[in-house]
Amino acid sequence: MSGLRRFLHTPEAVAGVVILAALFAMALSASLLFPGDPQSIAGPALLPPFQDWSLPLGTDRLGRNVLAELFHGARTSLAVGLAAAAAALAVGAVIGTLAGFAGGLIDEVLMRITDAFQTVPGFLLALAFVSVVGPSLGVVVVAIALSTWTGPARVARAEVLSIRERDYVAGARVIGMHPLAIAFREVLPNALPPVLALSSVIVAAAILTEAALSFLGLGDPNRVTWGGMIAEGRTVLRTAPFLSIVPGIALVLTVLGVYLAGEGIVETTAVKRGLS
Amino acid sequence: MSLLTASNLTKRYSRGGKTVAAVDDVSFAIAPGETLALAGPSGSGKSTVARLVLRLIEPDGGGIVFEGDDFLALGGTALRTRRARLQMVFQDPLAAFNPRATVARVLDDPLRIHGIAPRTERPRRIAQLLERVGLAAALAQRAIHEISGGQRQRVAIARAIATKPSLIVLDEAVSALDVSVRGQILELLLDLQREQKIAYLFISHDLGVVRAIAHRIVLLDAGRIAESGDARAVIDAPRSAIGKALVAAAPRLDRNIRQDGSSTARQS
Amino acid sequence: MSVLASISDLTVTYRRDGNEVAALKSFSLDIASGERLAIIGESGSGKSTLALAIAGLLPRGARIGGHIDWLLPASASAKAHLSVLPDISPSKGEIAPSSPLSPITNGAAGDDATATLPISSQVGEMSGRTEGSAVERQLRHLRDGVPLLGSDIGFIFQDPSASLDPVMTIGKQIAEVTRTHLGLTWSQAYAKAKTLLERVRLPDPDSALHAFPHQLSGGQKQRVAIAAAIAAGPKLLIADEATSALDTIVQAEIVALIRRLVAEDGMTLLFISHDIALAAELAERIAVFRHGQLVELGATAQIINAPAQAYTRALLDAHIGLDAEPLLNRSGGRA
Repeated sequence: MSGLRRFLHTPEAVAGVVILAALFAMALSASLLFPGDPQSIAGPALLPPFQDWSLPLGTDRLGRNVLAELFHGARTSLAVGLAAAAAALAVGAVIGTLAGFAGGLIDEVLMRITDAFQTVPGFLLALAFVSVVGPSLGVVVVAIALSTWTGPARVARAEVLSIRERDYVAGARVIGMHPLAIAFREVLPNALPPVLALSSVIVAAAILTEAALSFLGLGDPNRVTWGGMIAEGRTVLRTAPFLSIVPGIALVLTVLGVYLAGEGIVETTAVKRGLS
Repeated sequence: MSLLTASNLTKRYSRGGKTVAAVDDVSFAIAPGETLALAGPSGSGKSTVARLVLRLIEPDGGGIVFEGDDFLALGGTALRTRRARLQMVFQDPLAAFNPRATVARVLDDPLRIHGIAPRTERPRRIAQLLERVGLAAALAQRAIHEISGGQRQRVAIARAIATKPSLIVLDEAVSALDVSVRGQILELLLDLQREQKIAYLFISHDLGVVRAIAHRIVLLDAGRIAESGDARAVIDAPRSAIGKALVAAAPRLDRNIRQDGSSTARQS
Repeated sequence: MSVLASISDLTVTYRRDGNEVAALKSFSLDIASGERLAIIGESGSGKSTLALAIAGLLPRGARIGGHIDWLLPASASAKAHLSVLPDISPSKGEIAPSSPLSPITNGAAGDDATATLPISSQVGEMSGRTEGSAVERQLRHLRDGVPLLGSDIGFIFQDPSASLDPVMTIGKQIAEVTRTHLGLTWSQAYAKAKTLLERVRLPDPDSALHAFPHQLSGGQKQRVAIAAAIAAGPKLLIADEATSALDTIVQAEIVALIRRLVAEDGMTLLFISHDIALAAELAERIAVFRHGQLVELGATAQIINAPAQAYTRALLDAHIGLDAEPLLNRSGGRA
């Protein structure tokens, strides 16, 4: 309760939440406001913004409604960003917990695998994965998760190493709890807060990676994406720069919103922990 | 026949390239329904012995026979099943529970793990356990961090007796409690011992408390047994250097109204 | 004996989950110069709050009422009035048993007192805000006023590992205190640190100067913490459960050390403890606390031998000494 109040007293957190709320509103209302295929032709090609109020942000090279594309693109960005981050956090937390709790050989093996993933640049890994398996929304999510799970895994392992020595873990062993139950019921939930603090960074990175993949033509071809829109506008950058600028601004605002809200949450919980 | 026999227990740690024996050739036996105190200064290895007996850590040498079986030979499911008979109460009852737990969950775990009561019957069992340790059944719904230190230690005892153990290791279990609460907890432990014939391995640095509730004592110093015997006899007239130092260091109330006849121990 | 500090109507409330919790309720006490005074109480009795309030270490957000008058003979400001509160106490400077006011009445009195402060300069703020600022200002006054922690007051905490900097050598930590408060040069400060380590009987003070806290045992760390606490020659030494984390033997050594240092330097000692037997061995006077109120105050012999209050008697009875009657019914206890 007081945590929420403190959160809402942090201006940057409020700004972040407002941006994210607007983004979610865009994503959710996309098919209500712009029913049908956003990739269908809606008017003359390359109509500049603010000329025709039925097409407020103008049209692209093929005469598609830029505003409709922007709304539908918000869906892809959010869906990919959240799904990839959730997958990365889940995989990272589980692997980190197992490595930290089991120790010994299991720890060695899991951490060397983590090292292997971490030494390959994340974006290259995602790029290679999508080019091999073929672009689709699910594959993009997996590709991004594959390149970002190592951070959460390391943080979770470090936290588990300290929690493992606490009395309540010894207590769980004394009552005869199974080691896996101890790891996932007693240890993991208490190791999560610092792992979740990484989520804003990971969501933002995932949204950017998705945009970059789409920009390179490796996004899901059946969906509108902001990265794809920027790439689309590149060929007419001199005559119609707005085609790249509009989705670019949307992308910047989204990443900013995620960061600010995430920072706000981390700060609020840190203050709360400091006081208690 | 003894309930638990520890023979020649040894545990070594390497620190800075040197090997230090935290527990060095320690042997003792606990009879059913008996309280054996393990006392000594900090660093004497008493907590390490507790953790060895519970198999929270593995010894480098020696053996433990518990209820007639080689306790060190047990593993996996067999060990987890046998753990029901050998329980523990920690010093800091706040650290001994998952910070997110409620009282009900803490008591539900042992009942569920050892199949002591079916799911539908467990709330009633939890209420019984709470009442047995002198707490209201309604406390079950509270979070562990919401209740007082004394209540938490009672919950810890309820958890320990949930599986009907024959031995409970009490690791400084009353040291962190307020004096007024400490007396009540000691009385509760004695009641349970009389009623259920539970044996205690009572680890403490407080010789006053040890003398009040233990039958026998093992005094440890630097990982070795310095002295052992009847608790009252050893504390009233210690022979080892560490025993003498511990007795001399114990704070005492020189109450004039109590000085009649009780000053003999002080002179030694 | 002259008075070192006069505490009048000291009330401290914390905000916890939106509720005001009174940790100390209208407490008055004179601390005599050079005495050894023990504050005894169980958890939640307010004894640590009192120690922190005297040292000016209360956390932000604690609301303080009443005042502490200091009479420091050697200090530059002989008498520093530490509170901005108007004098509303009828029993100022007296050793009075705690008043029977309820916490609610106390809270209201605190509010009134705060509200009468000259805070009209903060025009345009909401009343709630104004009140908050007043509280902060009050805290600042307590912190800025003499006596200065470290120089006039030495404070020993329960956990020596938490009060020592883990990445700074022992010598530097002590030298820093004397440099700050006595204006010594580094070489003078290190020489002084060495004598201090000798005074607290740390084995091999020369090499200890260059050791880090983790290389010492718990008892040795507490000796270092004591050396740092007395480095600047404080008038008042506050030991807040300073021996509770140590085992019996080390505890007895630390108590003997504190007794010797206090006698040698003519310091006043405030010994905060939950252990009435330990306090009785060290203190000349004992104050018994419960629920933020003073239950009984008297000479150690009187408190131990003829306690006036039932609670004090209960505390004494709860002590399990080496001469206590065993709880164990030996005939029925063993199987």
